[in-house]
Amino acid sequence: MLFQANPKERLKNVLLQRYRRWLGRRLPAARTITLEQRRLFIFPSRQGFLFAVTLLLMLLTAINYQNNLAYGLTFWLAMLFIVAVHFTHANLLKMVISSIRVKSVYPGQQAEFVFRISCTSARRGHHAVKLVWPDSEVLVDVPAGGEVEVSLRHKVVARGWFDPPKLRIESTYPLGLLRCWSFAYFDSRALVWPRPLEVDRRVSPYTENASYGFSEHEGLDDLMGFRDYRIGDAPRLIDWRSHARGLPLQTKLYSLPVDEDHWLDWHDFSAGSVEQKLSWLCWLVLQHHRRGESFGLRLPSFELPLAAGDRQRDLALRALALHGLSRGEVG
Amino acid sequence: MIVGEQLPRRSLIWLIVCQIAVMLPHLQQIPFWIVVIYLATALWRLQMFRQRAEMPGRWLRLLLGIAGATLLFMSFGTFIGLEPMVALLLVAAALKLLEAIRERDGYLLVFLGFFICVTHFIFTQTLPATLYSVFCTGLLVTALVTLNQSPGSRCSGHEPLLALKMLALAIPMMVVLFLLFPRIGPIWSVPSTSGQGMTGMSDFLRPGAVTKLGRSADVAFRAGFAGVIPKKPALYWRGLVLSKFEEGTWRTLQWRELPGSERQLVAPETIGDPLRYRVVLEPTQQRWLYGIAYAESSTAGVYEAVDYRLGVLNPIEFQFGYDVTSWGTAGLQPSLSDWRRGLETDFPKGLNPLTEAWVKDLRNQFSDDRDFVAALLNYFRMQPFYYTLEPPEILSPDFVDKFMFDSRRGFCEHYAYSFVAMLRMAGIPARIVAGYQGGEVNPLNNTVVVRQFDAHAWAEIWVGGAGWQRVDPTAAVAPSRIELGIEAVLDGQPGFLSDSVMSAYRFRGIKILNWMRLRYDALAFGWQSFIVGFDSTRQIDLLKDWFGEIRVSWFIALLLGSWAGVLIPLMLWLNRGRRVHRLLPEEQRFSALCLRLDQRGLGRTFGEPPLQTLRRARRHLPEGDALYLALEHAVADLYRRTRSASEGP
Repeated sequence: MLFQANPKERLKNVLLQRYRRWLGRRLPAARTITLEQRRLFIFPSRQGFLFAVTLLLMLLTAINYQNNLAYGLTFWLAMLFIVAVHFTHANLLKMVISSIRVKSVYPGQQAEFVFRISCTSARRGHHAVKLVWPDSEVLVDVPAGGEVEVSLRHKVVARGWFDPPKLRIESTYPLGLLRCWSFAYFDSRALVWPRPLEVDRRVSPYTENASYGFSEHEGLDDLMGFRDYRIGDAPRLIDWRSHARGLPLQTKLYSLPVDEDHWLDWHDFSAGSVEQKLSWLCWLVLQHHRRGESFGLRLPSFELPLAAGDRQRDLALRALALHGLSRGEVG
Repeated sequence: MIVGEQLPRRSLIWLIVCQIAVMLPHLQQIPFWIVVIYLATALWRLQMFRQRAEMPGRWLRLLLGIAGATLLFMSFGTFIGLEPMVALLLVAAALKLLEAIRERDGYLLVFLGFFICVTHFIFTQTLPATLYSVFCTGLLVTALVTLNQSPGSRCSGHEPLLALKMLALAIPMMVVLFLLFPRIGPIWSVPSTSGQGMTGMSDFLRPGAVTKLGRSADVAFRAGFAGVIPKKPALYWRGLVLSKFEEGTWRTLQWRELPGSERQLVAPETIGDPLRYRVVLEPTQQRWLYGIAYAESSTAGVYEAVDYRLGVLNPIEFQFGYDVTSWGTAGLQPSLSDWRRGLETDFPKGLNPLTEAWVKDLRNQFSDDRDFVAALLNYFRMQPFYYTLEPPEILSPDFVDKFMFDSRRGFCEHYAYSFVAMLRMAGIPARIVAGYQGGEVNPLNNTVVVRQFDAHAWAEIWVGGAGWQRVDPTAAVAPSRIELGIEAVLDGQPGFLSDSVMSAYRFRGIKILNWMRLRYDALAFGWQSFIVGFDSTRQIDLLKDWFGEIRVSWFIALLLGSWAGVLIPLMLWLNRGRRVHRLLPEEQRFSALCLRLDQRGLGRTFGEPPLQTLRRARRHLPEGDALYLALEHAVADLYRRTRSASEGP
């Protein structure tokens, strides 16, 4: 492909690469970012250009009428613009942004990144700061010496690691004539689990086992109670009747025969693509965890010993999420 | 519409206040219905804000626009000219307010407001007007601040403070730029003011013309003297020379009426120390200037007419300052041409039969011109003539007969008219001079303030060998008018100052108020001559005075120096208390290694995860390279340190 690209295209690529490297040197990714001098860019905003046109008209009026007061007002506003450069710049200067929390999610959901913005100065806060992602933005004020937490969401589509796109931090405060901005890449990423899918009986050995059937054998089991709906619960277990009455989603719990330890094995699935198998395993992991059972997980290149509890679930989901992805990205 | 693009509700109030504030000083120039439009749109917009009214539809807005333009055309009869254009701007701003719903409409309104402020300066450049514009600018900048606040922030009242702070910081740089910016002439010609509602002298004289000026205490001009101010009786500010009598009216001779041989100015011989002063004339919409005879001006654009008066080519629309040098002893036009003599002795015969007979008698007694003039003045002095602002009106063509032998009550122009008419009947070259006499001396800054009620008319007669001599018949009737000033004679008379009810001049009897009035007038004169009248000549003089010579490099240095002087302390002040966040030691080590990688051409691209950097390094660096090994450790440490926070349930 590279050979087919015309010289212009190639030059553009080279320049883009150079620009990215320069940006990388200027704005290294980190967990916590301080907007220092070299990170901040400032340029007149659209309104700033309109202001400049107004000033030009005012100057022409002053010249044509040889009116000193008109000169004075024009120069005053022009110098106000210069002063505004510093105020706008100082508004963002040394603002500290930390990525403090990322929630793991399933594909198709919005990954939530929580940032903490703090102001190191006890005298001047940061006003009207906008954090922008392509389809999510938030506008905050940071009081002097204080800090605020904001969350931004980004839609994720595929399992594995989700690296957040570059975050644009910008502000036009106080006059709106200039826009000061910075880009930040954060060394924090969201883990995206496989999408849980109910096991297809035709391909799975687990359906033979009574403990996994919910359709036909359901009636035989005693309804034990309810608990709050969690992502991954099968729709048929949801108590739709109560939901229709306006209550939050509840999942029905059935008492099931106490079982021995479960090994969830990749190789037990006779059919299905890699992603399907991962989705089924994901569903199974969630089922076992919900019932408080201990389970183990066998993947082609990974084995998780038998255990129970939240940590076991997380380890299993993580292994499923990262299965087959290049080692470097397993992190 | 995204919420962030909406006009913040708080700034709407500020915008309405701003719009009305910038419109108010224009009230003199615009028809009153524009104010009604302003109030109506403001009210409507407020109702929209309170969700009680709908925004007018597109067609209605278009209709309103057309209606506004039509009304304007009906009010002014034209769109050309300064007043209609300003009115158009104001109507546009008012209608824009109605449809201001987005943030950028707010910006547009603010910028429009700045421009309206500038147009105000075209009409007036006085100190109060300037201060008011400064106030408006403060409001407009505050509106800008409110446009940029986040919606959640509480109204803390610090917005005006911030606006003022920023504006104050801009002042020193503005002053330097003001002083250094080259003053070039107009690039193209611009519409001027129509000058309606001006009080001031007109270029013709008929009985009653000057009298009406006695009702006004408006300032006509101020003159700042370099040395000692002459006594009041010597302060005859010559403005117009009225040589031609036509249909009961005295008027000046136009340049095109002069024969070719008469168009050359005969400069008089100047002897002795001249009087030097600077006059700042209020706008008159006329083409003549005032000065004490014989006056010369060094100011560019001021010419001298053959009858020794100063003039300019274009009407004075704005305050105009000019420097004058006067020689009191100079004899004007020592020799008179036949044409000139014929002109200056021309008066229609048979209009005033009584006076003509009386003058003939008197002329027989006094054949010498000087004796005849003295006898005439003596007649005025001895007979019961009265000096009054409210003389009986004489409309018949035999004005001189009626005045001399019947009413005998008149203002200066009545006396000058009759006096000159009688001299011309006697064959003595004479003419009326109109201008101002006297003025109030302000000792605080050595100026003379001349007001409209100081308007005066007197006579000039031509005496062989000496040239034109000033003779004031009013001085014979009311000597104190000349000695003490007009207010000494007329104060308390009905009509005096009747047009200036609220003028500070009325309160000159109260000592502290009078001192304040004089103080303010001195300030206004300084403002006029140093700020408003700052032109290229003054600029060059001032800069030469300070720097010795004009050198561009110094000016650039001064400009940048002023910026640095303001902006560097500002930067330090804005940054006080701000600390830099320290990187973790692991992060620091990694960054340092990345710099070394960069030296070997393997720098990180923007946002590259550290592990990817490591992999890239492994691919490109030789096996066992020290940099790679160090990098591996660093990345491992980095991940160990930061791993726990990166994930969660």
